[in-house]
Amino acid sequence: MLKPKQMSKVLLTGHKDVLEPTIETLHDLHALHIEEYVEEDYFHIGTPLSGADEGSKKLLKLRSIASFLGIKKPYHKPINARQLSSELEEKLETLGGVVSGKLGRKSQIEADLKDVQTGMHEVEAFAGIPVNFDLCRGYETLHVFAGTVKKGADVEAGLKGITDEYQFFAGNTGVFILVVPVKHREQVTDLLAEYEFGEVKIPAIPGTPDDLISELRNRQDSLTKDIESLSSEIDSVKAEYEDFILASEELLSIETQKKEAPLVFATSDHAFVIDGWIPDDEFETLRSRVEEATDNRVYVMIVEEPVDEASVPIEYDNPKIVKPMEAVMNLYARPRYHEIDPTTFVFIAFPLFYGMILGDIGYGLILLGISLYGRSKLHGEGWNSLFTVLIYCNIVTLFFGILYAEFLGFPLAGLHGHPGLIPGWETIPLFAGLGGEMITYPIHRTHLVTTLLVVTLLIGVMHINVGLIIGFRNVLAKHGMKAAVLEKAAWIVLQVGIFLLLFGMMGVVTSMVPGAVVFVLAVIMLVAGEGGTAIMELPSVLSNVLSYSRLLAVGLSSIGIATAVNIMSGMMFDSGGLFIVVAVVIFILGHALNTALSIIAPGLHALRLQYVEFFTKFYEGGGRIYNPFGYKRIYTEE
Amino acid sequence: MAIELAGATVEQILTNQKGLIAIGAGLAVGLTGLGSAIAEKDIGSAAVGAFTEKEELFGKGLIMTVIPETIVIFGFVIAIMLIL
Repeated sequence: MLKPKQMSKVLLTGHKDVLEPTIETLHDLHALHIEEYVEEDYFHIGTPLSGADEGSKKLLKLRSIASFLGIKKPYHKPINARQLSSELEEKLETLGGVVSGKLGRKSQIEADLKDVQTGMHEVEAFAGIPVNFDLCRGYETLHVFAGTVKKGADVEAGLKGITDEYQFFAGNTGVFILVVPVKHREQVTDLLAEYEFGEVKIPAIPGTPDDLISELRNRQDSLTKDIESLSSEIDSVKAEYEDFILASEELLSIETQKKEAPLVFATSDHAFVIDGWIPDDEFETLRSRVEEATDNRVYVMIVEEPVDEASVPIEYDNPKIVKPMEAVMNLYARPRYHEIDPTTFVFIAFPLFYGMILGDIGYGLILLGISLYGRSKLHGEGWNSLFTVLIYCNIVTLFFGILYAEFLGFPLAGLHGHPGLIPGWETIPLFAGLGGEMITYPIHRTHLVTTLLVVTLLIGVMHINVGLIIGFRNVLAKHGMKAAVLEKAAWIVLQVGIFLLLFGMMGVVTSMVPGAVVFVLAVIMLVAGEGGTAIMELPSVLSNVLSYSRLLAVGLSSIGIATAVNIMSGMMFDSGGLFIVVAVVIFILGHALNTALSIIAPGLHALRLQYVEFFTKFYEGGGRIYNPFGYKRIYTEE
Repeated sequence: MAIELAGATVEQILTNQKGLIAIGAGLAVGLTGLGSAIAEKDIGSAAVGAFTEKEELFGKGLIMTVIPETIVIFGFVIAIMLIL
């Protein structure tokens, strides 16, 4: 639980004749992390098994069809792999035929629609002009102007000054067509130039604008209908083949993965060698399964050589309930092979800190609901871990919410004559805390700041020392007792010194001398262990511990926001009338905002206490990911 | 006496002190907030740059970005202690 899975390095050696059954067995086992072979003099990397090409081609075709149909990845009932593989070829062929026809039709319709829209755009400018476009072309003695002039300009009045021989048609959009004899062309051009004439091209299609517009509109409608019917056809194809596509994509991926596996093996003319890592508890299964599948023609052995920590792939070894926290670990770094895997500590401390910070029944219930709903709706490993971690966090939040008796920032219990949300529930004083404060049930965080501040700092001291103890164990295993004492235990001694000094100052102990002695001793140990730079690190003890005050501070700021929202909406509500609606809006929006902040702020701060304050005491991280050869089937089953 | 010369009573002096405490608390939060903001601005832009190149870095970038928040939390604690 506290260490990653123990791994062994294994070698599989055999004749090429039995390569295929070996790959088959290894793939089924899904346990061997294969090391890629780097080519040297004698051995070469292997060549893919026959049929790898074809498989890749089919996979490519299938994936392009899937993207055309827009297939997402829902979870389905798995399909039998054997049956699927027998009918795959034929079905893929049919599907390809159906889809490629639709693909062609779709692009044809889209091109047509585009043409119609361009035509429409040109013709629409002339809407309302009762002239066939054919009549606007091909004259020797007449000149045709088409376009717009600036607003308010009276073209006809201007024309009267030049000639009476003209035809003027104005449309609905401000565009006009003007026909004048060629001899007046220059004068009219000048006149129009004064009116800021902008030419509009007359479309090269026969027909009057209004007829053309209605014709184009009809065409556009029919094309849109075509597209709709086509997409419903595509939908029906999708519905019919979705399962098949997802399942056969998976099947083909598996096939390709198996066929291309030899690319990472070392091979000679007749033999192959596979080099990899396997968890200790799976080795016997691997050996017996491989030997059985190949009639003992593959030799499986453990390589007994000192392991280089950096080369071992790391697989977590945690109970199921702790598993989701591995996502939090991966965000930082995987543990190294000989280190303590701190996932379990994070599993305890992270939700605890989150709950301490948030500690509100209302937000706890909302977020618990959201994360339960999210976990049932969104699948996939990442989402599942995220929501499960949120569920853990908010269960703890509910616990602290009951301890603090807070609901969306309202206190549930009354205090000092201020009634709480639950009538008749009065705060019970228990015993005196620090700084003249009284510890009560429920705990009112806003009234117990000094006491809670000290409590959070003590939590910090404990958390940091757990880190130092783990660090002590890690250094002990790696560099021996002397280094462990000087590098890790010295920090604990330093804290003892600081506490003795503090007690001396407060008068708990009569003399400051023991504290000073222990403190100096710790500093000497640190300098001996880590060198002079340790002196610069000394204040980090203080700043690390003080950092835990965020357990109180972030919570108080969250209460602050909630209270502000409650007061604002309360004031609006008391004004009555329409203001009640405003009050409700403020209440909902404000608490929605604070709920969003309630994931981010406590989450990040609790996380940061793990990463920055806790992990720096012991954790190196940087292990390789254990990626066993095999495939996690979702859509097919054997 | 000085108090009477200034024309102020003891109550007024005490009220003035409360005002000064409030100003001090405000400065503690405001200035540390500025400090955090300046630090987070630099880290944040670097983090965005990093995770556009490599998306897995989003988590680490987010964590790095909130590290300077400690400063404003110290300020906040000091402010609360001042007011109490």
